[in-house]
Amino acid sequence: MTLQDVVLSGQWVFLAYFVGINVGYLMQNVVAAFGIRRYLQTAEQYEAESVFSSLDIPISVIVPAFNESASIITSVKALLQLEYPQYELIVVNDGSTDDTLKKLVDEFRMQEFPEAYRTRVPCASVRGIYKSTQQNNLRVVDKVNGGSKADASNAGVNMARYPLVCIVDADSVLQPDALRRVVQPFLEDPATVAVGGTVRISNGCTVRQGFLEKVALPSNYLALVQVVEYLRAFLFGRMGWSPINGLLIISGAFGLFHKETLVEAGGYNPDAVGEDMELVLRLHRLMKAKRKPYRITFVPDPVCWTDAPTNLRDLKSQRVRWQHGLGQALALNKSLITNPRGGAVTWVAIPFYLIFELFGPIVEVAGYLFIIICALMGWIAWPQACIFLGLAIGLGVLLSTSAIMLEELSFHMYPRIRQLGLLYLIAIVENFGFRQLTAIWRLQGLIRWLRGGKHEWETLTRSANLADETEATGPQA
Amino acid sequence: MDWLFRSDFDGITTAALWSIVAVLATTVVLFAYTMGLRAATILGQRRRTKFVDAWRKVFANAMLSEDAAENCPLPHVARSDRTDLLEEWNHARSIVEGSAADNLIILARRAGVPALALKRLRKRRVRPQILAAQTFGHLRDLEFRDDIRQLLDHENTALSITAAVALVEIDADFAIPIIVPMIEKRRDWPKNRVSILLRMAGSERISEPLYRAIRSADDRNKTYLLQFAQLVEAEVLDALVNELIRDSNDPGVLNAALKLVSGFSGVPRIAALTQHDTWFVRMQSANVLGRIGQEEHLSLLESLLDDKEWWVRYRAAQAIAALPFLGPNQLRHLRDQQTDPYAADILQQSMAEVGLA
Repeated sequence: MTLQDVVLSGQWVFLAYFVGINVGYLMQNVVAAFGIRRYLQTAEQYEAESVFSSLDIPISVIVPAFNESASIITSVKALLQLEYPQYELIVVNDGSTDDTLKKLVDEFRMQEFPEAYRTRVPCASVRGIYKSTQQNNLRVVDKVNGGSKADASNAGVNMARYPLVCIVDADSVLQPDALRRVVQPFLEDPATVAVGGTVRISNGCTVRQGFLEKVALPSNYLALVQVVEYLRAFLFGRMGWSPINGLLIISGAFGLFHKETLVEAGGYNPDAVGEDMELVLRLHRLMKAKRKPYRITFVPDPVCWTDAPTNLRDLKSQRVRWQHGLGQALALNKSLITNPRGGAVTWVAIPFYLIFELFGPIVEVAGYLFIIICALMGWIAWPQACIFLGLAIGLGVLLSTSAIMLEELSFHMYPRIRQLGLLYLIAIVENFGFRQLTAIWRLQGLIRWLRGGKHEWETLTRSANLADETEATGPQA
Repeated sequence: MDWLFRSDFDGITTAALWSIVAVLATTVVLFAYTMGLRAATILGQRRRTKFVDAWRKVFANAMLSEDAAENCPLPHVARSDRTDLLEEWNHARSIVEGSAADNLIILARRAGVPALALKRLRKRRVRPQILAAQTFGHLRDLEFRDDIRQLLDHENTALSITAAVALVEIDADFAIPIIVPMIEKRRDWPKNRVSILLRMAGSERISEPLYRAIRSADDRNKTYLLQFAQLVEAEVLDALVNELIRDSNDPGVLNAALKLVSGFSGVPRIAALTQHDTWFVRMQSANVLGRIGQEEHLSLLESLLDDKEWWVRYRAAQAIAALPFLGPNQLRHLRDQQTDPYAADILQQSMAEVGLA
């Protein structure tokens, strides 16, 4: 095989990858657009007459917390004010080394309580259970550090008394009506086993007493790019998979699960790096094995706001972890890949994730190198290289533009024209540098997974959205 | 531009080039559409705010006085404001009852609301039809009862349940015998909306049809329909629940029926159900005995404290802790007597919950 043959074969590989990934994304886009339209038509009408009744399903909200001393009180106070008729709040103190537990005990007048704790899903041992003398629906589980959020979440699941469990990150900001919105699929279809909601970036927004008061864009470039990324990921990423029951991930920041199914699946896997995705894959596997109809679905409403990394170190750590988690989750559930009765999960979603999400970074990074080397060596004509590069960038911009349009058609959370303009600018600029950087980090994550790396609770630098009890306003654009 | 089609450019490159043109054009169109949409939203919001402010004052006056409803000057309604008028009127109408509601209906007729709603009812799109159904319901307009009746069978969930609610508002006596038999078939109707609809119709109207529907349903549908049984009249509910607990052996039906027990009849059968094979039937019967049980049932409840299901143990312990004839000392004595650690732990927890630990 001559060098020319290698170059030509390489061109075909990259071309096939390029066509495949973009056709996939464009199809998701179309499915998502129809899905959101249908969802909004129904939701708007129900909203007009939304009244709580005794038929709403009670929910156990579980908040795993590790060294969250700065924000835990504001978070819990906000969670206690959610608009939902019947829910309990279980905070799991996962062996924090700061004064998270003391703050909770003091603020909510908690007393140790002799609860007959039962282990239904595995987790590290429980040291004590506290019950608030002020808030009937608040309990705190103090446990030995299990080394992962999954382990802490499992302790919460063991404590949960209600049929649905909602796992929420301690630093997430929820919409007051988040539970009411996310429970809707359970009311509409009893076969529903899990529901995810749209997560948005809270950097730049005004948060007061744990609730989002004003939506704005951050001035930090990295956070701004992630706003566009999240719009793409949730509005057509998740929404594109949901109608065909091919959703493979429900964000760890906010997800609602049918408790008994979650327990039957064995709870969260404490050894999983991406415990949220691993659980959803395992739920698919369980339900396929039982051959029962089921739904894992998604509501496009922005229900949860989370702090995005604002420096390269934290962002890199997050992306490496996500890619590591993706590889591990797919490997742990490999029987789904070969299940002939796997439906859309086996035949569409997993192949897409395997080829384009998991191994995609190899092709992407190799592609950049390939183009640079070939162009420098004079093996590829510059005009051709520019055309393909231009098309790649153009498609990237088109996908972001489409996500911004979906946002404008549906929830229009960013009210000013200037904000929209800034999002469009970012949709173009992110293609130069950010996209290449994340491809390299994802490749590092892939390598870390292949080499069998380990993961524990990570402490990211926060923009202190919840730290101040009165108001915390990040820099705004 | 002649280099575009030079011989050393293969077909794929040419296709890529044209794809760039298509992608750029689509991006520009989407961008312009989104910006246009935003501009239209901002302008529309301004116009709407002005329109709504003017009409809200009119609605407020009309709610307070029939004279105002009949004679007050009405703000101009431009073509683009018509949907806003319907939405605003429906909103105002949905929050009031009695004479205020009657006055709003008078005002609506003057403002031409029925004609606007009729236009939307005749459209093929679901959204205007939903608004129309909601409006006719709030107008309590018998003239359009049969049109709304047609929408009950519509495949769109939101439209059919809105039509059901509207039909109850228009003529509950006509609506309930049609709607109640549909509930078990229309599982897509959200349960909370069905519950609202039944509550609107009133327990005296729904008791008989719902009783009949539950009795004639198979076990699966019985379980489903029993979720709404708490809305029927107390004596009908008692008769139904006693009958089901006595005659049924389906765990789902028993579970649903036990949740509805309020009287003291049928206690021996309920006590027997504490030994049922299905855990949630044991749990519910323990629950009921906690409310209506007597001293003779204490040993039954005690036997459930070491049940293999946590929920059965928990409910039995809660039931024991709630028994009116057991004082704190007797409870402590009972706890100390337990040889099974599970039984002692769960009783301890339940006592702590009521401040007796």
